[in-house]
Amino acid sequence: MSKLVGKGITKTYGGKDVLHSVDLELESGKIYGMIGRNGAGKTTLLSILTAQNPATKGSVTLDGEPVWENPAALKHLCFSRELAQVSGNNVNTMKVKEYLRIAATFLPNWDKEMADRLIREFDLDVKKRIGKLSKGMMSMVTVLTALASKADFTFLDEPTSGLDVVAREKFYKILLEEYEQTGRTFIVSTHIIEEAADVFEEVVVLDKGSILLKENTQELLERSFHVSGRAEEVEAAVSGLRLYHEERIGRSRGVTVLLEPGEKIRDGYDVSVQRLSLQKVFLALCGEEA
Amino acid sequence: MNEILTQEKSIYIQIKEMIENDILRDILLEEERVPSTNELAKLYSINPATAAKGINLLAAEGILQKKRGIGMFVAQGAREKITAKRKKNFYDDYIKSLLAEAGSLGITKRELIEMIESSEEGGR
Repeated sequence: MSKLVGKGITKTYGGKDVLHSVDLELESGKIYGMIGRNGAGKTTLLSILTAQNPATKGSVTLDGEPVWENPAALKHLCFSRELAQVSGNNVNTMKVKEYLRIAATFLPNWDKEMADRLIREFDLDVKKRIGKLSKGMMSMVTVLTALASKADFTFLDEPTSGLDVVAREKFYKILLEEYEQTGRTFIVSTHIIEEAADVFEEVVVLDKGSILLKENTQELLERSFHVSGRAEEVEAAVSGLRLYHEERIGRSRGVTVLLEPGEKIRDGYDVSVQRLSLQKVFLALCGEEA
Repeated sequence: MNEILTQEKSIYIQIKEMIENDILRDILLEEERVPSTNELAKLYSINPATAAKGINLLAAEGILQKKRGIGMFVAQGAREKITAKRKKNFYDDYIKSLLAEAGSLGITKRELIEMIESSEEGGR
């Protein structure tokens, strides 16, 4: 089993810390989800983990070997960047087929057959220039590049952002199919949390340049609850627990709790205890105070 | 296997209960193969590890049986096992919440019993 390990990763842009000493271990054979608000540092972290961007401090190793400028390690990594209509680089003037040809040159395990199959499946016009593609088509190029890279550790940055709900569902099915057949590791950053939650074996929450948590998605959901009712009853039921994201209306109060081992919501109070979706947990962790 | 996943319970518990429901309804018959972890993962767009957790719980309860190299099968006597288990949990799963709601509405036990007796559905 392979391991990609980031230790003490700090990134500073113009005197401002974007990542603060991030430690992250990714094991092979899992699908990870990375969620965080805009500007949390997701893309920066992914680009550093794949050695496309140097860290200001810290190290990234694959099975103990540094990945920076190390072709032996880099052939196992692929970072498929999000394309955008307005972008600082020259990619947008390229035709899709030129972009894919370059991807094939840089990615040693490129699967041309798979790329061609996905071009047909997505109905992608390879003669178009990247800059002229719709947002959805751009996402498809990102997804296609990632999947056909056949890299052991494949990073997808916002692969679903431009896709409609049908295409997103299709993307996750293709991802699961590829995962089933190869056992490759996927790290998917996304804003569209709800429908992705059940696909991720583990979820990494990044907030303001730090990792807030990295946990098995189902276990996280099993310990997250929303407790609501008359304020005094809620107070008593959750006393001693760490509360996230409180909201109050009149006499009623609602709080989110993430139970640590050994903790529980006290019985015997007249409160509603409900389970939360990953999106709600994320909001409670990273949202603004109500 | 075509129920829709909801938020209220863990996904693996729902997968487990769906298979149980299918066995109770004779959609899945005893000694028949059940969908594989990967088939379930694709059908519901869930992580295969989560689907496997549900399947493995059923195997641990003896409701499913693993046949090496072929897959998971509905064990003999699975139907009875599920019925017995659900009967045992009936009080916790249904009666408790029924009594709680009745309590907060001021419905007496006597009234509850009358409702059940005059009901035309279920039970005998």
